[in-house]
Parts: sequence; C-alpha cells; structure tokens
Amino acid sequence: MERKCVTRLLTALLAVISAWWSVTAQEAALSSAPNSVMFAAIGDAGTGDPEQYDIANQMTRFHAKFPFDRVIMLGDNIYGGQGPSDLVKKFSQPYKALLDMGVKFYASLGNHDDPGNNRYPLWNMGGQMYYTYATKNVRFFALDSNQVNQKELAWLENALKSAQEDWKICYFHHPLYSDGRKHGSSVDVRVSFEPLFVMYGVNVVFAGHDHIYERLTPQKGIYYFVEGAGGELRKGDTKRSAMTAKAFDQDQSFMLVEINGNLLSYQAISRAGTTVDSGTIQRQVR
Amino acid sequence: MMSRHKRIALRVSGFIVDYLLALPIGCLAALVWANTFPDSYYRFAHAMAFAVNDVGIVFFLALITKEVAEATVPGGALHPWRRAALPVAAAVGGVAVSIVCYLAFTHEVGEHMLEGGWVAVCAIDIPGSYVIARMIFGRHPAVPFLLLLAISADAIGLACVALIHPVGDAHPVIGLGLMAVAIGSAAGLRRGGLKNFWLYLIGPGTFSWFALYLGGVHPALALVPIVPFFPHGRQDRGLFVEPAPQAHDTMTLFERWWRLPVEGVLFLFGLVNAGVPLQGLEVGLWAIPIAALARPIGIVVAAAGAIAAGLHLPARVGWRELLVVGCTASIGLVFALFFATAVMPPGPLLLQMKTGALLTIAGGGLAFAAARLLRVGRFAR
Repeated sequence: MERKCVTRLLTALLAVISAWWSVTAQEAALSSAPNSVMFAAIGDAGTGDPEQYDIANQMTRFHAKFPFDRVIMLGDNIYGGQGPSDLVKKFSQPYKALLDMGVKFYASLGNHDDPGNNRYPLWNMGGQMYYTYATKNVRFFALDSNQVNQKELAWLENALKSAQEDWKICYFHHPLYSDGRKHGSSVDVRVSFEPLFVMYGVNVVFAGHDHIYERLTPQKGIYYFVEGAGGELRKGDTKRSAMTAKAFDQDQSFMLVEINGNLLSYQAISRAGTTVDSGTIQRQVR
Repeated sequence: MMSRHKRIALRVSGFIVDYLLALPIGCLAALVWANTFPDSYYRFAHAMAFAVNDVGIVFFLALITKEVAEATVPGGALHPWRRAALPVAAAVGGVAVSIVCYLAFTHEVGEHMLEGGWVAVCAIDIPGSYVIARMIFGRHPAVPFLLLLAISADAIGLACVALIHPVGDAHPVIGLGLMAVAIGSAAGLRRGGLKNFWLYLIGPGTFSWFALYLGGVHPALALVPIVPFFPHGRQDRGLFVEPAPQAHDTMTLFERWWRLPVEGVLFLFGLVNAGVPLQGLEVGLWAIPIAALARPIGIVVAAAGAIAAGLHLPARVGWRELLVVGCTASIGLVFALFFATAVMPPGPLLLQMKTGALLTIAGGGLAFAAARLLRVGRFAR
C-alpha cells in the first residue's frame, strides 16, 4: 500500500517536472544570442477584441525572455473604423507594454487598412506604401500587395539588387502561397513578385490575409510563412496540401524569429502561450 | 420570337453584333483559364495588359466616339445639343448616387483600400445597355435617351480617369504641346479635304496617343479628340444603326474597316481583363454591383429635378419607362472593366473590382424584370 503511494507520488512528480520542462523548453526555443536579430510577426491583428489583447499580452510575456526590438505587421492592422480612437483601441493600447519598452512596429498594409495610415508614426512607414530598412545582416522589405504597379516592381528590383545584407526578408499582406481555404494563394500577386524574389535571392517571406498560421515547404528555394491570426481567426480553415509543412488554425497566434549568422530560428506561439511550430532555417546561398 | 430577335439584330450595326459575339467569348475563356491554370493566365494577362488596355482599346473607344460625333449632325440624337440636357442631368444624378453608395459600402464593410476605385461606378456599358434597351423597347425614344445618358455618364468617368488618375510620371507641358500638334494637324487634314482615315490615325492619332501617355492621361482616349475631325455624312441614321450601303464618308469607312479588328480587340479585352478567381475574394467585390443597382434611383431623382426646372422627357417616355431605362443603365461591363483597370493597378483589389464589373451584367435581368413588372416596352401588351 505504502509502496503504491510512493509510486503514485513519484509519477505525479515526474509529470509536474515533465510539464515544467516542456513549458520552459518551449519558451526557450529561441536562443536570444547577443548579436542576433530578433523580431516578432503579427498579421490581421487589429480587431480590438479580447483575443488581440491576449496575443499582445503573450508577446509581452515572451519579450521578457526573448527581447525582440521590432515587430513586423503583415497587414489588416486595423479592422473597421480607422479613426484616432480606433488606432488606440486596436493598436497602441493592446501593444502599450511593448511600445513602452521601445519595441518598434514596421507595418505593411492590408485590404482592410486605410491607406492614409501609412503616415501613422507608430507604424514607421514614413508615408510610403512600400519601403525597406536594415539591421545588422538582415534587410527587410515591406511591400504593398494590394496594388502592385510597375513603379513598385521597379523600386523592388532596384532595392533587392542593391541590398548588401546576407538575409533578405520580404513581408506584405496577400500570401503568394497559402493553404487557407477562404483565400489561398494570391496567384496574381505571385506572378509579379516571385520572379524578383527568385532572381535576387530573397530568403524568407511573411504574409497574412488567411487567418491561420502556416509554414510552407520551400517554393523555388524560398521559405514562406502565413501568419494571419494575430487577432482574427478562421478555425479549421486549412486545406492541407503537398506544400503544407505545418499549419495551426485552432487559435490566434504570433511568431518570434531570430537570425543569428546563417541561421534563422522561428517559433509560432498560440494565444495560450503554447508553441505550435518551431525550427531553424539555414540561409540559402544562391 | 426568334424572328423578332433576328429582325432587331439586323437593324443594329455590325459593331453591336460583333460586340455581342466577341466580348462574352473572351470573358468566358478568361474565367475558365484563370480558374484552371492561374499562373499562366496571370502571366499572360499582365504581359498583354498594356497592348490591349492602352493601345487596342483606343479603336473601340474611337468607334464609340464616331457614333457620338455622328449623333451631332441633323437627324442625330444629339442635334441640337440641348436635346441632351435631360439625359445629362439624369446621368449626373445616377453617377452621384452610385459614387455615394460605393463609398458608403466600402466604408461599411471596412474595405478602405477600395475607396480609391470609385471612378469605376461612373461606367455604363454603351453597347450592352443598348442591346438590352432595344430588346425591351424596340424602336422607341427611350433607347436614344438611354444612350445619351450612358454616353454622359461615361464621359464623366473618362474625365475623372483623365484628370484624377495620372498614368506614370506626368509631363503635362510636353503632353499639351503634342496634343496641340495632334488637334492642329487633324483640323488641317479636315480643312484640306483629306478623307483617308489612315492619315488621321497615323498622324494626329499617334501624336494624340503620345500626348496623353506623356501627359499622364490614359492613352486609350487617344482617338476621342481626333475622330470628331473625320469628314462625315450630312444626316445621321441613329446611334448604332447600320450606315447606308452607299455611304462612303470617312467615318463610315473607318467603321467598316475597323469593325473586325475591334472584334479581336474586344475578345482580347475580355480575355485579359475578365479572368477573376471564382472563390476567395473579399466582400468588396459587391461594391460596384451595389452602386450600379442604386443608379436608377439617382437617375429618376435627377430627372425629376430637371423636369421641375423646365426640361421635358422625350415623347412616349414616362416615369415607368424612365425607371426601366435606369435599370438598364446599371450594366457597367466593358466600361466598368476599363475604368477599373485605368484607376487600379494589378492586384487583389483590381480583381475584386473586375468581378464586380462583370456582375453588373445582372442589370440586364433587372431591366427585364422591371419592364415586365411595370408593363413597359415589349411587356406593355
């Protein structure tokens, strides 16, 4: 009887230790190396609903262990009304803790955004619909996928051609590849952007629009992520295909990314704080 | 029933018959292609867009301009000009209500990026609405009234495209200079009694195209200021009515030569522009159809205001006929597609607008339903 009790106690203890280790391991999926580039990614976030606030709180919690200094926004940053009070309720209030810690947000705009919000100072767009910036060995390209004109394509080609950084990361709203049932791949945008991405060695592409998380198998040597569940969610919207590497559509989510030398590590985290996907990408040299 | 349709088709110009054949085939082919092999379709559509939308469609708009220019001669629907006053007023009302509805809808559903595409709701498809009106009314004063209304609405849209949506890097001084040369040389050719339409196309037409292109205005309008200089007959048989067999004036010869190539252009226009995905689009695709459906209200209200100000409806056109005309004018089709491509670069927003433009074809059914309900035209008996 006593022996049975001890066994039960040990089993329970083992379960607790295992759960603690599991959570710690998840939270420590990214190394936070001193010289690495650390950022977060959110898409389709600006609902102003409690779910958006939950995601923002998780981002703040993870920031304590993974001190990212920037967030890339994948469009549909504000749904519905676009006035000053909406910008507070759907952006500056939920992410207040991060903003107060000096985290900078770099937005691309989606179809639900007001194009005039490219002048909103906290989104660092400088009044442009597409722009580029760099940190350490990474260059980011925030693009406008809503309307892809020749001027933007010429700008992008020039910017990609002259980029000297090791990593080239593009982000915008409409995914070139997606297994989202509602929208799926934006083929008309793909035929415009993809040839330039391939020609000039873009490494990773982030997009939103489909309200799920998805990591796709590399397409023409480029890694694609869909993160459109930062506030909105379309449960069960994934239509898995051969290009689905990992998908999560049961809860809101956001991404953390770390680039250290030639390695990019990613972690997708649900609203509950659970890691739903993680891994490492070796920089492709083309 | 069939013989009646055949008789109507024979009375109208070959241009209209070609329009009815070429455009729908192009649109259907595009829809099938875009939804089966989207990669190759969009590559093709992007590669061809400039050649079709900025060059080929010049000749379609030229044939429309030819009809309008001929309508200003004695016997024409626009002679004298004041006959057009009421349709112009109705068009202004229709366009205004459509724009308000479009902006209200896009705002309400949160499709803010689409708000810049409001010009597309100025469009009334001239050939398409003409065919529906002829099928409902036969030969009736409501038909030229509708055409004048459609021409006026499209003229507003074209002016908005030209003035509000510059193309590329505009060089207005160079554009104005070239346009002065184009119009001056067209006037010189006319004064010199030269009748060969090729002279007008190669000289003034080319100058005009470059004038608009470099001036930042959509170059598809290149022949709009040139065609009115073509020598033409002294009498007009009516809008979109087959010219007399013995007619050999420049405008008639221009139409006869260009009818077949324009049929090809219309096929290509449908093929390049109508390929939209049949799933996955946002709710914003309904913005243009809803705005078009609201247009009859604006037309009737504006016409009521114009009548109160002293203008008169044409003979045999009452309020019921006016309402059916308004419903017929909700068809945007080719002109809505053209305006959409003129004001919105390629991308998901343009796809939504194109889908909406295609859906306005339902205006034809609405017009028939209204005519039947109100016992108008062929349903009067």
